[in-house]
Amino acid sequence: MDAYVCLDALGDPTRRAIFERLRRGPAAVGELARGLPVSRPAVSQHLRVLREAGLVRDRPSGARRVYSVAPEGLAELRAYVEGFWADALDAFAAAAERSPAEEEETS
Amino acid sequence: MIPIDTIPPVCRSLTLHCPVEHAFRTFTNAISSWWPLDTHAIDRGRARSAVFEPGVGGRLFERWDDGSEHDWGRVTVWEPPVRVVFDWQPNRERAAPTEVEVRFTPRGEETVVELEHRGWERLGEEGISARGSYEQGWVGVLDRYARAAGGA
Repeated sequence: MDAYVCLDALGDPTRRAIFERLRRGPAAVGELARGLPVSRPAVSQHLRVLREAGLVRDRPSGARRVYSVAPEGLAELRAYVEGFWADALDAFAAAAERSPAEEEETS
Repeated sequence: MIPIDTIPPVCRSLTLHCPVEHAFRTFTNAISSWWPLDTHAIDRGRARSAVFEPGVGGRLFERWDDGSEHDWGRVTVWEPPVRVVFDWQPNRERAAPTEVEVRFTPRGEETVVELEHRGWERLGEEGISARGSYEQGWVGVLDRYARAAGGA
């Protein structure tokens, strides 16, 4: 599972809406579909993408399946953001310490 | 409910051996001298320079080989040499209620730089519009970078 797959999964607005709804608490497919302007089969398809991306998981509850956010997926995304800024700041630090600290008049 | 603190701000800190004014100016006005466009760009193949316009309302953007400009964000707080805050929204098709604050603190002959990328808690405050569209925060913001960087 990698951050790129996660971000690709969340690149769809409906999937983001589903994910956001699940952040407020677990839900079954029917409940999710009721809150969205898409069909129930479409919701199931979106949930499959999110599950394959490691962002949600499901468990049986009677005859239904209840979906919930998978915290490890969020952790991977967070790690990506951390890495993004770590790399950018490494480059910044190298430039700041490399260039002469002569004070020029700029805006 | 997922507690808000499971997605806390991303914070990074470093200490530089240079004066605070130089650190601030390097991060902002001189961003083109260090921003790694080959890995951190909306389109790393076409991006040629990074720009950080000074002052509140200043734009952060990348300029492509054809001269076109593609925004990353906008400055909301400009307090040289100690603080700058800017919205972060590289993919403008989606709402991006996230922001980045960078603080520069002099410590003797050194400068402590602290960066905080925050606003993720706003994910829980957005809903679905009547037309069914949905705007997401940091995830939508970063997916373009993930694509450009070729994944984590």
